Amino acid sequence: MTSETLLPGQPVALPLGPSPTLGAGLYAKDGHVRASLVGVPRYEGPTLAISRARPHPPTTNSVVLGVVTRLSPLQATVAISVVDGLPLPAGEEFTGVIRSQDVRATEKDKVRIGECFRGGDVIKGTVISLGDARSYYITTARNDLGVIFATSEAGATMEPVSWQAMRCPRTGRIEKRKCAKPENL
Amino acid sequence: MAQSTFDRRRVNGPEESFPPVFDDEDDGGLGWVAMRNRGAEDIRPIFLQPGLVSQANGSAYIETENTKLACAVYGPRQSKTTTYSERGRLNVEVKFAPFSCVRRRAPLRDAEDRAVAIAVHQSIVSSICLELFPKSTIDVFIVVIENDGTEGCIASGSIAASTALADAGIEMLGLVASCSASVRGDEIRLDPVEKEVAAADGTVILACMPALSSVTNVYQSGRVSAQGALKCMELCQGRCIDVHAVMAQSLLSSRASMP
Repeated sequence: MTSETLLPGQPVALPLGPSPTLGAGLYAKDGHVRASLVGVPRYEGPTLAISRARPHPPTTNSVVLGVVTRLSPLQATVAISVVDGLPLPAGEEFTGVIRSQDVRATEKDKVRIGECFRGGDVIKGTVISLGDARSYYITTARNDLGVIFATSEAGATMEPVSWQAMRCPRTGRIEKRKCAKPENL
Repeated sequence: MAQSTFDRRRVNGPEESFPPVFDDEDDGGLGWVAMRNRGAEDIRPIFLQPGLVSQANGSAYIETENTKLACAVYGPRQSKTTTYSERGRLNVEVKFAPFSCVRRRAPLRDAEDRAVAIAVHQSIVSSICLELFPKSTIDVFIVVIENDGTEGCIASGSIAASTALADAGIEMLGLVASCSASVRGDEIRLDPVEKEVAAADGTVILACMPALSSVTNVYQSGRVSAQGALKCMELCQGRCIDVHAVMAQSLLSSRASMP
């Protein structure tokens, strides 16, 4: 396996034996494996891929970060600004929605959107479907998904106290949110 | 009448103006005989530089003697206006700078920019893996800074657009190279300039992916015999391999100079 930079359309020299599964940046056509990006192919376990340092549109199972822009009783609208750890250019956010049945895994019928999100909250979620023409469908129905950053009515950054409440350090008031479990706990 | 055609968005020149008159103008087809300081099957030298527009996702600047174009690629970004589509959309826009031609180029007066855009779109659309970009749009903007024949613009535009797309990190099957040819009688000349096109019977533009040895676009206009068109395509395909080498070299050296 040479480590030279490949160009789109250039055949990839593969070692003899079982062929690897192809990841991003490579495709197979007419029995040849070729590159579709400029870059050096590398093995990530059994997968051979050219790593993509550029931001790309969300696909199903992408982990996204976004800001809540609009609330309605049925859904919260989110402007997605980070896809799989890669920030999108400013002004090129994708629109996503969290429907009320996708907020949490249990007691879905008791969800009230206003007690889970507020405008301006930064949320972490995964994409469950490409959705309709306008928006991607996002779910936060997992312990590690939900609000990761929120400011209180007093304007201070709040800290989570349980999976559905956050406390303002300035006033001590409790506000309701669907919190993401912090990673280091 | 005067009110409706007045362009409120730009600085307007005087109401009546004339292009400069040159001594060697109107040589009555002499362009075909005289205007050639290279062999009939030689193309003009190409300067190609990816990554000049820092705001864009990817970009390229191409210069072949008097044909100069800048190309910028934005996206993939979410298509807001269209309905749900499983495949991505490629949007190509071409603009002529007002000073790009001998006569001042007023914006939106004719459809030549759109004709070039359609030809460039056709050349590069089949090289992009659009199935990987559902619901998204890829925008390609080309500005013609100096124009020396529509044929050269289409060929250079396709080369620049394909290089910019590779620079933007958009998945594609292969790099698209392009070459034009003009025919007069039995004589074929590759990469004609504007005067040669004006004196020619017909022209052929070919775009192909040399890495996959597949053709993406053939565009013929004027009077060309079937034999002549085939011969043109054959010659163009040979030159596209050289163009492809230039593109590969520029992409590799711009990647090597990146931090």
